[in-house]
Amino acid sequence: MNKQHEPLIRLAKRDGMSAKKVWAIRLSSFLVAILMGALIFLLMGNNPISAYGAILTGSLGKKTAIRQTVKIAVPLLGTALAIAPCFKMRFWNIGAEGQITAGAMAASYFALFWVDKIPGPMLLVVMGLAGALAGALWALIPAFFRAKWGTNETLFTLMMNYIIIGIVRWLKGGPWEGRPGSQIIPNFDKAAVLPKVFGVHCGWIIVLMLVVLIYVYMNYTKHGYEISVIGDSVNTARYAGMNVGRIMMRTMCLSGGICGLVGFMVASGANMTLSDTVAAGAGFTAITVAWLAQLNPFAMIVISLLLGVLQKGADTLQTRMAVPTSISDIITGIFLFCMLGCEFFINYKIIFRSKHKEVSQ
Amino acid sequence: MKKLLALILSLVMVLSLVACGAKDDAGKDDKDDTNTIKVGLICIGDENDQGYTYNFMRGKEAADAKLKAEGINVDWIIKYNLIEGDPVAVANEELAEEGCEIIFNNSYGHEAAALPVAADYPEIEFVCMTGDQAWADDLANTHNAFANIYEGRYVAGVVAGMKLQEMIDKGEITADQAVIGYVGAYSFAEVVSGYTAYYLGAKSVCPSVTMKVQYVNSWSDATAEANAAAALCDQGCVLISQHSDNTTPATTAQSKGAFHTGYNNDMSDVAPEASIIGTRIDWTNYFVHAIKCVVEGKELEQDWCNGMAEGEVVMTELNTAIAAEDTAAKMESVMDSIKDGSLKVFDTTTFTVGGQAVTTYTGAWGMNGAEAIADGAYAESSLRSAPYFDLRIDGITELNA
Repeated sequence: MNKQHEPLIRLAKRDGMSAKKVWAIRLSSFLVAILMGALIFLLMGNNPISAYGAILTGSLGKKTAIRQTVKIAVPLLGTALAIAPCFKMRFWNIGAEGQITAGAMAASYFALFWVDKIPGPMLLVVMGLAGALAGALWALIPAFFRAKWGTNETLFTLMMNYIIIGIVRWLKGGPWEGRPGSQIIPNFDKAAVLPKVFGVHCGWIIVLMLVVLIYVYMNYTKHGYEISVIGDSVNTARYAGMNVGRIMMRTMCLSGGICGLVGFMVASGANMTLSDTVAAGAGFTAITVAWLAQLNPFAMIVISLLLGVLQKGADTLQTRMAVPTSISDIITGIFLFCMLGCEFFINYKIIFRSKHKEVSQ
Repeated sequence: MKKLLALILSLVMVLSLVACGAKDDAGKDDKDDTNTIKVGLICIGDENDQGYTYNFMRGKEAADAKLKAEGINVDWIIKYNLIEGDPVAVANEELAEEGCEIIFNNSYGHEAAALPVAADYPEIEFVCMTGDQAWADDLANTHNAFANIYEGRYVAGVVAGMKLQEMIDKGEITADQAVIGYVGAYSFAEVVSGYTAYYLGAKSVCPSVTMKVQYVNSWSDATAEANAAAALCDQGCVLISQHSDNTTPATTAQSKGAFHTGYNNDMSDVAPEASIIGTRIDWTNYFVHAIKCVVEGKELEQDWCNGMAEGEVVMTELNTAIAAEDTAAKMESVMDSIKDGSLKVFDTTTFTVGGQAVTTYTGAWGMNGAEAIADGAYAESSLRSAPYFDLRIDGITELNA
């Protein structure tokens, strides 16, 4: 009599899938993405093979192309590294965009107004430190409110983005404006531009060093351990005597600091000036990078490069085959969707309601 | 699992079949054709603005046809929706790498990002339309181009002034109520030069006219432009004009019962009861000239600026249903005097600054103290192509400078 109604589709947590099977699922989801993308190209009247060819050669075919791809990947990787500790702690820092902008703004201040007062290499160091400090402070504000009064950090960090972007907009139309009325901040002096190593601003070396540092920090330090305990259970952390609020603020400072450093690299290395679009969505795309890499810093290198390839390739695709950029965005979306989706199938299995069998209790 | 596999396999089969079938047309690349030149064009928006970038597309298409008639085939590569910063630099580099021999950047904000790329590719010509650095930088392959759009704005101003004067004469408004509202993008010379010319045109036929300027701080922000136009109407402006990329000031003017004159495009389709006329730059000649220079190996000027006389500034069709009587004839005579040089738009006897006539001016931004007044007029766009008229004359109020 106590027969329960069984839903048509049921999800169950899966455990202990073999590594081989996991990678088979990942590979097939990648294939599905390629096929779905091909379908889009066909619908648009393009040859999928030459379209994918354009993406690959456009992003990796030439030295200059590889440089551009790396240049796109640098802020993605740096920001993904920055938000990883927060996400590990289940502290949703959606404010990387703003922290990048804050860092870029502070670095730009020194680039614009201290260029003749501080000698060359020192200036870059000062800009980097100022960027990191500003990013950390901008991240500390929501962390403080969360720790003290339990405010919602997702909304708070998100709102902080708009504030700092607004401030930069005011600066570029106000005190920092170059040509009167232009709403453009002048380009930095050469002394305030990050030097290039192998044709790309040396930010790529900095983020690669950060990969190792964050890996060690998350896995082999007391701080890293505390972060993962809070991520699993705040109450456990409290019971173990950890000062959860303090750890949150500390971790957000680190996260914001790295974001600020990324902001400095983008403003000084890539844009050579400051604009309100300096973060250019990296703060949000990096969330995808971090999750796809499952918060593993080394995997983030691969994912950010992959996104760099897709973005630069899409650019070339538009150049060579006149494919609208929105189509390229759709293709990127399909790839991300499939790759994120497959992680779902790795973690859960779908059980359909069986028609014939009575479920025995 | 099996079902899924079967599905994927069949998809692969179908797609590979189609892919093989589609291969034919990809192979037809006429790369050996010596008369084909690759040209890059980087745009701040896309054709959907029905204004600024759309106007470039019109020029591009006309130039394309003209060049084809002369046996030059142009392979255009166009990049849309690039505003400023690194993305613009990436696009310039991308186009240079793809073999473009000349690259046009269509917005002022592109120049800062394009110049470093130009230094890396000395054999490729980089044109920054509406830019102002080519004459100042030390690169031989950078160029600026503009047109004396202030001449077109003056004529549009005459049309607007005639409408206002007619309204005064008919008793619909008092002389004091002849107020023009101007939606401006930014508060720098390019815009100031434009609205001043417009105002002087209106004043030449309607002496009591005054003007209010509202800046939107963006070249293209449809909503902000509409809001600015609405705010101006609410403050008593009976006629709206604009220096911004969208048609929303025209539609807003119509819904508020005001009149309008446009820029870049004939806006009387979207606002038939409001938009009387428009003026635009015809880029055809410049595109043809610059591309031919590259094909024929001739030197391209660093600065290029022509006006109404050379056909680079044109008026859109007059909306005779709402224009004042005899407008067409008056327009014709004004345009003729501009073309033959007898009418100078910035004639210093027609305006005052702070109540004083202007006899000398060396303070124009970025002009290194050059004297801007010559032969009783402000010599706009003669020293360099980008406008540098940045005086604020009497009769015009900036609401949010």
